[in-house]
Amino acid sequence: MNHRGGWALIQATWASWLQHRGFFFILAFGWMIPPLIYLLVWSTAASGKTIGGLNQGEFVAYYLVLILVNQLTFSQTSWTVGDLIRYGQMNRLLVRPLSPVYDALSSEVAGKVVYMLFDVPIVAALALILHPELHLTPRNVLAFVPALGLAWMLRFFWGYWIALLAFWAARADALLAVQDALIFLLAGQVAPIQLLPDGLRNAALALPFRYMVGFPVEVVTGQLDTFGLWTGFAFQVGWLVIALALSASVWRVGLKRYSAVGG
Amino acid sequence: MRYLRLIGHFARASFQEEAAYQANFYISLLHSLLNLATGVLGVMVLFGQIETVNGWNLTATLALLGVYLTVSALRSLFLGPSLEALAGMDGEVWTGQFDFTLLRPVDTQFLASLRKWHPFALFDLALGLSVVVVAVTQLSQTLTVAHLIAFLVALGAGVTILYSILLAFAGLVFWSPGVLFTWVFDSIFQMARYPIGLYPGWLRLVLIWVVPVGVITTVPAQALTGAASVGVLAGSAGLAAALLIGASALFRFGLRRYASASS
Amino acid sequence: MTQPHIIVRKLAKTYRVPTREPGLAASLKNLVRRTYDDVQAVRDVSFTVEAGEMVGLIGPNGAGKTTMLKLLCGLLHPTSGEARVAGFIPWERRHAYLRRISMVLGNKSQMLWDIPPMDSFRVLSEIYGVPPAEFGRTRDELIELLDMGELLTKPVRNLSLGERMKCELVAGLLHRPAVWFLDEPPLGLDVSMQLRLRRFLAEYNRRNGVTVILTSHYMADVMALCPRVILIHHGQMLYDGELGGLAQRLAPFKLLRMTLQGENGNSIGVLPSNVEIIEHGPNRLTLRAARSDAPAVTAHLLQTLPVADLAVEDPPIEAVIDQIYREGGV
Repeated sequence: MNHRGGWALIQATWASWLQHRGFFFILAFGWMIPPLIYLLVWSTAASGKTIGGLNQGEFVAYYLVLILVNQLTFSQTSWTVGDLIRYGQMNRLLVRPLSPVYDALSSEVAGKVVYMLFDVPIVAALALILHPELHLTPRNVLAFVPALGLAWMLRFFWGYWIALLAFWAARADALLAVQDALIFLLAGQVAPIQLLPDGLRNAALALPFRYMVGFPVEVVTGQLDTFGLWTGFAFQVGWLVIALALSASVWRVGLKRYSAVGG
Repeated sequence: MRYLRLIGHFARASFQEEAAYQANFYISLLHSLLNLATGVLGVMVLFGQIETVNGWNLTATLALLGVYLTVSALRSLFLGPSLEALAGMDGEVWTGQFDFTLLRPVDTQFLASLRKWHPFALFDLALGLSVVVVAVTQLSQTLTVAHLIAFLVALGAGVTILYSILLAFAGLVFWSPGVLFTWVFDSIFQMARYPIGLYPGWLRLVLIWVVPVGVITTVPAQALTGAASVGVLAGSAGLAAALLIGASALFRFGLRRYASASS
Repeated sequence: MTQPHIIVRKLAKTYRVPTREPGLAASLKNLVRRTYDDVQAVRDVSFTVEAGEMVGLIGPNGAGKTTMLKLLCGLLHPTSGEARVAGFIPWERRHAYLRRISMVLGNKSQMLWDIPPMDSFRVLSEIYGVPPAEFGRTRDELIELLDMGELLTKPVRNLSLGERMKCELVAGLLHRPAVWFLDEPPLGLDVSMQLRLRRFLAEYNRRNGVTVILTSHYMADVMALCPRVILIHHGQMLYDGELGGLAQRLAPFKLLRMTLQGENGNSIGVLPSNVEIIEHGPNRLTLRAARSDAPAVTAHLLQTLPVADLAVEDPPIEAVIDQIYREGGV
């Protein structure tokens, strides 16, 4: 593993992305709007009452945290890797003495830094205007960090193996679109999981998508009891292992096919 | 007359281009269905927890969603692709391909607005209209001819407003190529999925007077339930006309600047 | 006496480029106050072109050739000066004018990518208002001239570079323009394609009398196609006339190539002061002398050196152009 090269690449990517901050701020703005819409809709619906155990302030808090978590776990690599394979630019990366994963990682890191530069002040300003109610406990905050880290890894590798299907299918991006829709429905964007109708809620608890975004948010906003917390972690780690295994094997098999077909 | 024939040719050429990739068709279908499903499910989850919000119930909100889908479909059908080809990420102004467009003995605004068609959006149009029809049949009030006419007027005004905003944003590219105006607009347009009555007062004002996306969907939906007064209808029609004139002027002004300022 | 087809008088184009120093402090400053540089892309250029002429516009990168072309197409407004092409003022962009001209851009394509060329041709003919019967005739004539039969059913993205170039040429001519602007057309990468396309251009010009303005980096194309060239450098017109005359006027010297014999072949002794050694190899010597000095120098060399073979040549046109580009002037 070429760590020095990898780190250098990350630093260089980060510096160049900072140069184009404006562009990325605009992207971040766009991604922030859907959760914001749901924040507004739910908080209006919940004004003066509670829905599913959450009052208006708690809805606001949930969605503000969701905005940040969603941004932090978002993996743009899924889209770029697919493009690299489709347009034959993978060769450029394969020739370097550096695993292509570093390329993905460096854009991820660079992206997070730049997007957070935008998101954090905006969320802070929104918090001042909208009055969230956030009850933090030491347990929740401590659990939040690993939950967030695992969520990012899960979302990254899950998106990665699907994107690698571009080795076979010309339009693997269609699958990514399906995934985005599923994340929208089942990861806590449309509504906090507990508010989903029974069938959807059970699906959400079983499938990996909630563990990519919603789970850390639920942890830190105190929606989970101890049992819910530990089962959540169990599912999260379980899906992550599956995602890692899928990524590794699809990469190996796909690479063989890629070189056989001629790149 | 010639311009009408030209539209026919553009539509046909665009269809041939799209049909060149078989996969496009199925993927387009998939996207349309996903779009519909997530939209409808989102509304249903909200109203699964609560009966009405600020006077809007499930059927009325579904009707509005239908209007949103219909307007989006019309945009995807021809306005969006043409203007996107001009001013979007890989747009002509950015790549320099715009020179060819300028050389044609045809009005540039016409070309920029109607040149590229996305025939698969007809499917989205059908879906959107179906949602409207279904919602209307469930409404407690019956649909009178007056309502229908009001709806069509409001819809026409809405589409004109949408076109004007897109045109203005596209025109801005002559001053500042590379900034993602349409991306910004897309994000704000997402807000039109829900009745603006659900948003806080200050946002409602923004969505009527600053970026009038609220007028695009909410007024037609209100017209269906008979809640749109003549004043509101006249206002939206007037706004549409004013925006159209303004946007066209901006676009043409930008064209002249492009010719004098570029190299 | 008919008016020249293209009249350019004191045309100038200056545009402002925002400048920006690197670094964070500078970008902050830039937010408050923009600084600009004035770039004179075209300076005080005047020339006329008769109908049916083929003129080459040459010059180094950034000389202003493309700007000049865009001014004549009406894509740009000039800063000052006037021009008339086919009786119209280009930058008024009247539709009647746009119908009489055509432009081929070397690195950009006006074909629709995923469909066969024929479909693009059809749309273009509609845009230009070409009656269907005439479209059929023109198209068939061009296809025959370019030998394009089998290309027509393949999507453009599957065609080779040379084949795509043919499509671009046809696309540009479907409406039978009176003036044709070609900006850096890559006329094919292999020799046979080059020859074929050059022959096509020359033939088409001869048959239809279209006025052609061609800019190109490929000296071979310019030499083969354009009896007349206009040299532009730093936005100014340095030369307007025959290509051969360019060498004569701008580089008034001759090359003397000699093969020397015998053991004394390598010692050349003292040469006259008005010659310059270009190349000195075993039994070979190439000298450069002013055109006016050439006869005297040649006579002197024949007397003093063991010359087996002597040739007096004009310097190759590329060398002349290259020297002008490097030295920036006449």
